[in-house]
Amino acid sequence: MGSVDLEKFFETEKQKEFDTDFFKDAEDYEVWEEIDFETEDEIPGERAFEIKAEDMKYYAAGVLDDNPLLTDEEYAKSSPYGGLLPHPIFHTQIIFWCIGTKGRGNWIRTPGARNPGQYLEIYEPFRVGETIHIGMRPHDRWIKRGKYYLSYEINMYNQDETKKAKAIGTLILPKSREDIRTFIRGLRGLDD
Amino acid sequence: MRELKFDAVEVGDELGAITHVVDQETFWKYAVASFDYNPVHCNPDWVATAQPFGIPETVAHGMMTWSFMVTVATNWAYPSMLKITKLSSKFVRPVPAGTTMTCSGVVMEKHVISSGKNFVVVDLKAENQEGELLGLGQVEVVFPD
Repeated sequence: MGSVDLEKFFETEKQKEFDTDFFKDAEDYEVWEEIDFETEDEIPGERAFEIKAEDMKYYAAGVLDDNPLLTDEEYAKSSPYGGLLPHPIFHTQIIFWCIGTKGRGNWIRTPGARNPGQYLEIYEPFRVGETIHIGMRPHDRWIKRGKYYLSYEINMYNQDETKKAKAIGTLILPKSREDIRTFIRGLRGLDD
Repeated sequence: MRELKFDAVEVGDELGAITHVVDQETFWKYAVASFDYNPVHCNPDWVATAQPFGIPETVAHGMMTWSFMVTVATNWAYPSMLKITKLSSKFVRPVPAGTTMTCSGVVMEKHVISSGKNFVVVDLKAENQEGELLGLGQVEVVFPD
């Protein structure tokens, strides 16, 4: 029941390094009913994200966007922007990378989690050459129509501590660790 | 590059729609692009029994649907140096492989503040080949002039 082998699609350095198996360690992911909302300080991610052109270009390719401002370095360099622009939802790649597998926020890897909707503020577009790190804190946790929602505020900063973006990331999750185990076994763990 | 001016934009203006047919390979490539390898998108064998969405099929990432919707806005805004600053989304129906997804947008609000701070709110939506709603979104687009 492991991950499908997707190596044939890998092109960037980070893709070759990233741990694609969301089942591995899943029993240790943060769980809806165990999230600590007393934390005031921002929680750092496991690692930083050094933005390379290939990262932005592959994200654009992955969303079938052929805008040359996102995909053609020479064209973008000669434009008033002076360089590649990220697709606005490129932050997804940054967040999954920075959160990693072992630390806080790893509930975003929970097998079977569902995405009800998201929120994002962009203060400055990410640029090639920046090194982004994240700071996050629990934002909200609620029950609606029998489903368990969890959201984190995730702030993204560059190497100069300039705040580049803020996301409110929300998922519908299994409530308990036992519910996650049910999913890992390939059994249904959420109601419709 | 073109130059779209705030004065020329009207509430009700429609942005150019885009259409994509998505399949399992599209989901896999998006997983690689986003680092979201959740088996609900990537592992047909697991989904056949686990069925997080109540169907025995993999479904598209919500973030991919959102990205498609937002591309409608970037195609309109980026060539004119407009800034996309706030974005939201809501996903209302799972998107299985084989879906033909059409994303469109319309200017819903025009906020007249001051030069450099004027912005519009664009409503975005994604529909399948049956015209059923898959997702909704909003973006705020700031004009530099």
